[in-house]
Amino acid sequence: MAITRQILGRLTTLVASLLVASAGIFVALNALPGDATAAILGTNADPAAISQLRAHLGLDRPLWVRYLSWLHGLVTGNLGTSLLSGDPVASLIWPRFGVTLSLVTLGMVLSVVVAMPLGMYAAVHRRRARGFIAATLSQLGMAVPAFVAGIVLVLVFAVYLRWLPAGGYTDLQRDPLEWFRHLILPSVSLALVNGSLLARYVRAAFVEVLTEDWFRTARAIGWRLWPALWRHGVRNAATSLITVLGLQLATVFVGAVVIEQVFAMPGLGSLLLDEVGKRDLVVVQAVVMLMVALVLIVNALVDVGYLALDPRLRGRREMR
Amino acid sequence: MRRVPLIFGLVAVGFVVVAALLALVWTPYDPAVIDPVHRLGGPGWPHVLGTDTFGRDIASRLMAGSRTCLLVGIVAVAFASAFGIPLGMLAGMTHGVVSRVVLRATDLLYAFPAILVAMLLAAAFGGSSLTGTLAIGIATVPVFTRVARAGTLSVMSQDYIWAARGSGISWASIAVRHVWPNIAPLIGVQASVSFGMAILAEASLSYLGLATPPTTPTWGRMLYDAQAQLFNAPLLTLWPAAAIVVAVMGFNVLGDALRDLLDPRLREVS
Amino acid sequence: MGRRHGWKLFTPIAALLAAMALLTLAGCSNTGDPGGSASASSLVVGASLEPTGLDITTTDGAGGPQALLYNVYETLVKINGVGNLVGLLATDWTVSPDGTTYTFSLQPHATFANGDPITAQAVVDSLNHIRTNPSTTATIKAQLAIVTDAVATSRSTVQVTLRHRSHFWLYNMAGPAGIVIDPKGFSTLGTATAGSGPYVFKAWNKGDSVTLARNTNYWGNEAHFGSVTFKYFADPNAMTTAMKAGDINIISDLTTPSALGQFSDTSKYTVVKGTSNGEVVMGFNHDSAPLKKLKVRQAIIYAVDRKALLDSVWGGQGTLIGSMVPPTDPYYENLAGYYPYDPAKAKELLKEAGYGKGLTLSMPVPNLSYATASAQFVAAQLKQVGITVKVQQQDFSTWISQVFQKGDYDLTVVNHVEPKDIVKWADKNYYWHYDNPEFNLLIAEADQAPTDAEFISYMKQAAEILTTDAAGDFLFLFPHIAICDSSISGITANEVTSSFDLTTLASRNN
Repeated sequence: MAITRQILGRLTTLVASLLVASAGIFVALNALPGDATAAILGTNADPAAISQLRAHLGLDRPLWVRYLSWLHGLVTGNLGTSLLSGDPVASLIWPRFGVTLSLVTLGMVLSVVVAMPLGMYAAVHRRRARGFIAATLSQLGMAVPAFVAGIVLVLVFAVYLRWLPAGGYTDLQRDPLEWFRHLILPSVSLALVNGSLLARYVRAAFVEVLTEDWFRTARAIGWRLWPALWRHGVRNAATSLITVLGLQLATVFVGAVVIEQVFAMPGLGSLLLDEVGKRDLVVVQAVVMLMVALVLIVNALVDVGYLALDPRLRGRREMR
Repeated sequence: MRRVPLIFGLVAVGFVVVAALLALVWTPYDPAVIDPVHRLGGPGWPHVLGTDTFGRDIASRLMAGSRTCLLVGIVAVAFASAFGIPLGMLAGMTHGVVSRVVLRATDLLYAFPAILVAMLLAAAFGGSSLTGTLAIGIATVPVFTRVARAGTLSVMSQDYIWAARGSGISWASIAVRHVWPNIAPLIGVQASVSFGMAILAEASLSYLGLATPPTTPTWGRMLYDAQAQLFNAPLLTLWPAAAIVVAVMGFNVLGDALRDLLDPRLREVS
Repeated sequence: MGRRHGWKLFTPIAALLAAMALLTLAGCSNTGDPGGSASASSLVVGASLEPTGLDITTTDGAGGPQALLYNVYETLVKINGVGNLVGLLATDWTVSPDGTTYTFSLQPHATFANGDPITAQAVVDSLNHIRTNPSTTATIKAQLAIVTDAVATSRSTVQVTLRHRSHFWLYNMAGPAGIVIDPKGFSTLGTATAGSGPYVFKAWNKGDSVTLARNTNYWGNEAHFGSVTFKYFADPNAMTTAMKAGDINIISDLTTPSALGQFSDTSKYTVVKGTSNGEVVMGFNHDSAPLKKLKVRQAIIYAVDRKALLDSVWGGQGTLIGSMVPPTDPYYENLAGYYPYDPAKAKELLKEAGYGKGLTLSMPVPNLSYATASAQFVAAQLKQVGITVKVQQQDFSTWISQVFQKGDYDLTVVNHVEPKDIVKWADKNYYWHYDNPEFNLLIAEADQAPTDAEFISYMKQAAEILTTDAAGDFLFLFPHIAICDSSISGITANEVTSSFDLTTLASRNN
């Protein structure tokens, strides 16, 4: 059947993309100057010790051999062991993955919460001063670097008011309330910027809805503006907005790396910056691959979901 | 009121450009010269915006920073255009395998947190501004590919293109004579917006201590250095932060206003 | 019409915001969290370097010893707050006249955390384990290389024999090289500690914190805190804001001295300032042609105003030293005024050395705030005397690889934190490539000097050579600044060991 073939095609593309991405990440990271031996031996390094350690860690094998063995590990679910500590990479990543995932998810949810009303308001009142102000607000939000927003929020809510912690993280399982309190400021900083960007798309999508014939008809037969927008507009705008959200995922991950730094959160971003400093490439490439794979898979799922639900939308990528 | 965004965008961008051009020949002080006796001076005279922890003149450093920041924008956008536009036009003018491969590659690059890898590269190679800037450029390529492709597709569906192709005019000639002039305004709009994004990205990389060498004054670097003084000299943080916000907003708003101006049909839509 | 329904749309959002606010308020009244003020039972210490491993004899880095030394692992002797050796697991020790045989008498009642007594045999086994374990770090191996033999002469006496007399050895034994490990734990040191200190290791939340708990079996005075968490901050500014926000009780080592002003309220904070072992050295590559010339090196030192540098770079906190010796070492001598700031003299010296027309030098520095700030300052001042400095900022691994291993640099800046690291100048393979036979001889003579007086005299001469020969520019000595909230007392001012010693700390409330 055509749909099945399209879905299969999309999944094939996903696999190909993952392969290309893995090769790209591997080559880029292995081009970095210096290696883990520098971090392990530090200021005590001498050439003999370095070459011995390199051989011990398997760093003296050709690039493609190392790539294939890494790829084999990825496929079989073995991420390898850290060059420095000897811990399994998975055990290093999973606790931190929870932090970043919490931050990214809450940041995304808040973005939508910020963007939907702001964008809809700007669309409805686009010809008036209020709409203009709403649009300007989103322009302003887009122009403020996320870390500046974060610093300001910390100053106000953690240092002066002492309502919320200035940083750190508590596990959801350990204490859900603390988990949430620690996440408020970081995810708000993330959402301010991302939500502003999203608000522009929301505005565009709703302006389109507002000028559609069926919408004018609905209004003409007595639907009030906001209920009409709520009932029909959201449903129609959702398609393109979810696509945009999927595409924003990559940006949000990058934003999370910076935000984790501001709020001293033990997430993937701080792990990444930490380990790249020590050249523990086994860990670094696993983290980058995890982020990329997540983004690719989510986007593929969004596509497949559309195909399965509504084959008419298969050309939707043209809409952006 | 319709003119307000255009005027704001022009003024903000103009301000940055004039500051940058002026900084090429003149700044109130040498932005690198330190003056430990007059460190952390408040705004006043002769240091209009005050001095930083080394006693360097902040106004001069902001001006010099606008130069770096324009350079980052120009290089990143030029790099992204150089690769993104031809690819986008190629994908728009061809069908089948070539078009599909370009599209998929674009999607991949889009989903790829390129800035992330850039961060790693900048971290390792000691963050010369070039590394950071190129990284931002790479991350911007797919945006230009998309815009160029979308524009090309709409041009290619026009009747006169059919006529041109019917009369045996070569692909290259169609691309140069018909497609490019039509998509150039769109690209200009995108360039303005991407310019703003590049400035923001540079600030983020600098905040992580990655993008620029410490002796080069950039707004992001100034923010990074000012952080330690956040409590005793908050103005040090305020100036570069304000500069970034004004410049980025300027480029974004200008981009939007230009789009409205160039394509009235889009005015309603976005 | 639209307006009325507009409010309806905002209702769920308003509800969400209200819920968030409620949760926030609820959280505030909940004071048993990691934030909030320290009760007598728990303490949160902010620190910058996370351990690289739990076994501090097989992993390098300052984070492990900071959290574990003296707190979890104890040594025969320890260095107290003023730099003197005092007994810890040893009550007493004697040295043979030739300086090669040390006899330690052990604390009779000392036990490991599991309750087992610390016998002389256990001490010997532990020392031999560290000496012979192939994974032991190169630094510790070198420190223990002069040990020829260790025996238990009775249940409570240990005799250690050295190859030759050494003034450094016993000091080293007060560090990670001398920790006494429970032999039962040898095989699991990477995941569990096996020490005898007042605290035991409880949890390590990688990337975030290490938590210690009170050792209920402790042989000495019971630990003051039920639990102590070392919380790690990659960004020093995040640490100061966490302190301001009350998330942590102590900043173990403030690395943004300019932030000191925020803690001036003495009713809320106690600021303790002292010296550290960290000499911030502008290293010269003695293999680089221009820097082989004494006059060029001296010119550079004359051209940099170190007092102004310290003010600009480190908020005036720290000490000007002039050589590689901190004031807490017995052979310290104030050499800070040897080269006064004199750009005219610098220009003259450069001219005499043949660089009157200018000189370009590379300066790769690690991505650490004091290093990049110092480099900016140095570059600006050297420009005044005609030296163009190309500053590059690198991450630590790149810097280690380029500067330390390949020696590809002219100038650089780094903080040398190890105790008594002046001896590194005697190693011509070390990244400065400094090779001065006279200096090397003095260091060797000092280590084997029969009396303390002679040792000190040799060391002083060695330190003076580094200054007169302009071996490097000793920019300043890192300050040790600790900040604690008003509930904590007893923090040590000077940082003379690599340990953050919890045993002196107490809370004021009880």
